[in-house]
Amino acid sequence: MSHQLEQLEPALVDDERPVSEDREIAGKSPLQIAFGRLLRDKIAMASLTVVILFALIAIFAPLLAHLFNVNLDTQSTCEVTDCNAASYSYGLPLKGPPLHGFDPEHPFGIAPQNGVDNLAFWLYGARNSLFIATMATIISTFIGLTLGLIAGYAGGIVDRMISFLTDLFLAVPYILAALSLAPILDERFAIHPALQSKVTFWSLIGILSVLGWMYLARLMRGEVLSLREREYVEAARLIGMPTRRILVREILPNLVAPIVVAISLGLPAYVTAEAGLAFLGIGIVGRPSWGQTIDAATNWWQRYPLYLWEPVIGIVLLVVALNLLGDSIRDALDPKTRR
Amino acid sequence: MRLTKPLAVAAAGALAMSLAACGGGGNGGNGNGGNQPGGTPTYQGAGTAGSAKDATAKGPAQPIPNATSGGTVTVLYPSPDTGLATLDPSPGWSVTGNAIEQDLVARSLTTFRQDPKTGDMSLVPDLATDLGQHNADFTEWSFTLKSGIKYENGKPVTPQDIKFGIERSFDLGSLVGPGSQYSAAYFLDGDKYKGPYDKATKGQDYKGVTIKGNKITIKMSKPFPDMDYWGSFEAMGPIPQGNVSNPPKYGLHPWATGPYKVQSFQPNQQLVLVKNNQWDPNTDPARHQYVDKWIMKFDQDPEKTDQIALSGNQASQTTITTSLLAQNYADAKQKLGSRLVQGSQPCTYFNYPDYKKISNIKIRQALGYAYPYQDAWSAGGEIVGVTRVPGNAILPPGMVGRKTYGPIDGQQVTYDPQKAKQLLKEAGVKPGTYKVSWVYKKDDPQGVNAMQQISKAYKASGFVPNPIGVTGSLYDTWTNPDDKVNKSLNLRGVAWCSDWPSGLTFIPPLFQSNQLYNTGYFSEKSVDNRIKQIPTLPLNQQPAAWSDLDKTIETKFYPAINTGYSNVMMTYGSKIGNFNNDPNYGAPNYRDIYVKK
Repeated sequence: MSHQLEQLEPALVDDERPVSEDREIAGKSPLQIAFGRLLRDKIAMASLTVVILFALIAIFAPLLAHLFNVNLDTQSTCEVTDCNAASYSYGLPLKGPPLHGFDPEHPFGIAPQNGVDNLAFWLYGARNSLFIATMATIISTFIGLTLGLIAGYAGGIVDRMISFLTDLFLAVPYILAALSLAPILDERFAIHPALQSKVTFWSLIGILSVLGWMYLARLMRGEVLSLREREYVEAARLIGMPTRRILVREILPNLVAPIVVAISLGLPAYVTAEAGLAFLGIGIVGRPSWGQTIDAATNWWQRYPLYLWEPVIGIVLLVVALNLLGDSIRDALDPKTRR
Repeated sequence: MRLTKPLAVAAAGALAMSLAACGGGGNGGNGNGGNQPGGTPTYQGAGTAGSAKDATAKGPAQPIPNATSGGTVTVLYPSPDTGLATLDPSPGWSVTGNAIEQDLVARSLTTFRQDPKTGDMSLVPDLATDLGQHNADFTEWSFTLKSGIKYENGKPVTPQDIKFGIERSFDLGSLVGPGSQYSAAYFLDGDKYKGPYDKATKGQDYKGVTIKGNKITIKMSKPFPDMDYWGSFEAMGPIPQGNVSNPPKYGLHPWATGPYKVQSFQPNQQLVLVKNNQWDPNTDPARHQYVDKWIMKFDQDPEKTDQIALSGNQASQTTITTSLLAQNYADAKQKLGSRLVQGSQPCTYFNYPDYKKISNIKIRQALGYAYPYQDAWSAGGEIVGVTRVPGNAILPPGMVGRKTYGPIDGQQVTYDPQKAKQLLKEAGVKPGTYKVSWVYKKDDPQGVNAMQQISKAYKASGFVPNPIGVTGSLYDTWTNPDDKVNKSLNLRGVAWCSDWPSGLTFIPPLFQSNQLYNTGYFSEKSVDNRIKQIPTLPLNQQPAAWSDLDKTIETKFYPAINTGYSNVMMTYGSKIGNFNNDPNYGAPNYRDIYVKK
């Protein structure tokens, strides 16, 4: 990255003084080096701040909602929005944006036509979005890692079977899977709405993770294939180390870099996937989601742009921050990156 | 007739009665609604939607003043209107489909003509020479087919073809439609004969229709005074016999008898109609053939269609849209002025409590007071007082002999949680213990919004709301007796539009025992008997009798909660000439439209 080059080069030039005795030559692990690089990367740090901010919002959403004195309760439409058909503000809130000034009771305004507080919806939307993305990332990483390690190390028939499974799952488009699973679950749990809400929530996480592990599995398999022929692995095998220990203690540490990269780039992908499915009406049910707001707000864009901006800014900020952070981590971990 | 648009919300209400009066009082014509600056939408009142009859009307139809030939008209049907799944005349029973088929493609025994001055519809002969001859007790009707009628391919229409069309209307399989309500209920052997495709009656000669020369005689099993109206349905028209008309293929390209024929048809997506040169205007007293080509696009993005309508660009000048989003209403009113048309529609929305599960009338009445009419309308995307107006009588505005009344204690029912709680108390129900289960469309944001409003109001009224989200049409749930969701409900719904302006098309399908769309399973012997009795009364007493029965049902039993009458909101481009609402349907009157030069 060019800007990092600019920052770092003066430092190298400055480094003319002889290596003094107080600067001990200490052995640093590759991860320590990468971490040091990351700390010096301003973009990475800014992104990390944003991500941590969103994480805090997600964790403390109920507390924040309480702090701002907003909630998800339904308001009577005609008490809070204009129900007079002859009026030009038909359907728009009677107080607050877009027609009236800032309303301290509802800092983000309220939704047109139904009067739900936008801030509360946004906060809980962030919570659901991040929770789903995080869970999906953890589960899919675990599946991908395990299968990749086994396939790469075991080889033979096991490798072929797992590779076939990987190809099979790669052939399933997740939107189609979600589209076909949604009505089945609806049908099954329709008469228990509370259970249905829970089931759709976890089934979404399930779909995202079950259809999201394949790339990591392939990557892992390839890495392990080359690693298992290395001398130190052979040595470990010769001295009779159990396979599980070889995998966990000898091979896995060498895979940390690609795993971290896969996680940091997977997270934003799941955030957008969740919002996309909610926009299509097949996401989570009975819980707030940014995608739902975007779906409702597109029809109001001309008359109430703020309503659409709020979830869009939320998603863009979070996804861009996560992606930049992922990129930076990738660069920091890659020994070949020129700096 | 069922509304094609799914029931996202049903709501009735308590706006000032002046609004309701506006919905029903106008005697057709183009009254101006509202007096906002910047223009007023044209309001086309219900009038007496087709109660007039003119048995002597002859073709050709009166020319429209200043009308010019040529041009292409595009009609956009915004979601959730998915338009037509089939063009087969026999099953046609939807507002969007019937208007297109009857106005442009498929001729039948009789049809409707719009009075250019008043906008009223009157029944006129179409393929028949008159409106039918009947015997004293309406058990035998005969129609004489005009000679020289041809299909689009030049083949002549024979009386046998009309008989075949009638036979097809008995089908309860893939062609099930309005015939199940009328042919099967009133025609001879309607309970036994199941049409030419059913295994049991295949190849059987239907004895109810006899042909002598060009004269077609239909025998009834019981008095059917409305046969002339039933004759206006495309199902009561000619169908070529033999394999050519086998379903479902015939539904893709039926042989046109009207002024237009099918050029291409993608079910639920697009229909293109072009001029049918075999149509003889001299035989048709109601239709015109000014436009060269019709392009009908179904299931369009509503925001997109609104923007097209509002843009005024060249493409939009010859475009018609059949609904408008609530949020664009004010904008459209200002920009389009009289090209925004509020058209009345003979439709009523109901919440239908399960008559067996909620057997106490006080609880049903409490449900009436517990419904947040305005809030649910507005949250559900209706324009309060415009596309949905408060209702009380079962029969919607425009029906002959209709009277309004107060369903409970002589009063209009409005949202009143206190009254609901009081009624619950009188019924011996502790507040906060009575569960109300109903379904809503969870994949429709506005359906969800309305559900939230309704839940809140039910809770405030002492009920325990239990909304159940489903995907797909709510009718799939309501009309399926084996559906486990349906079994768990105690509040269902239905939106009904009259097939013609007689109570016969409204009260029997909804309030007779064991009818498909009687979703509340309402069943009272006295009502059933009266429903059987009214068609046998002298013709001029029937409208009042239906209206009295309407009042009796709601005041004595309150089986269904009226959640309002609907109006449609349509727009048309600046080059569209003579655009009018067809108050029979609440759809554009395609027959008389032309493109300005």
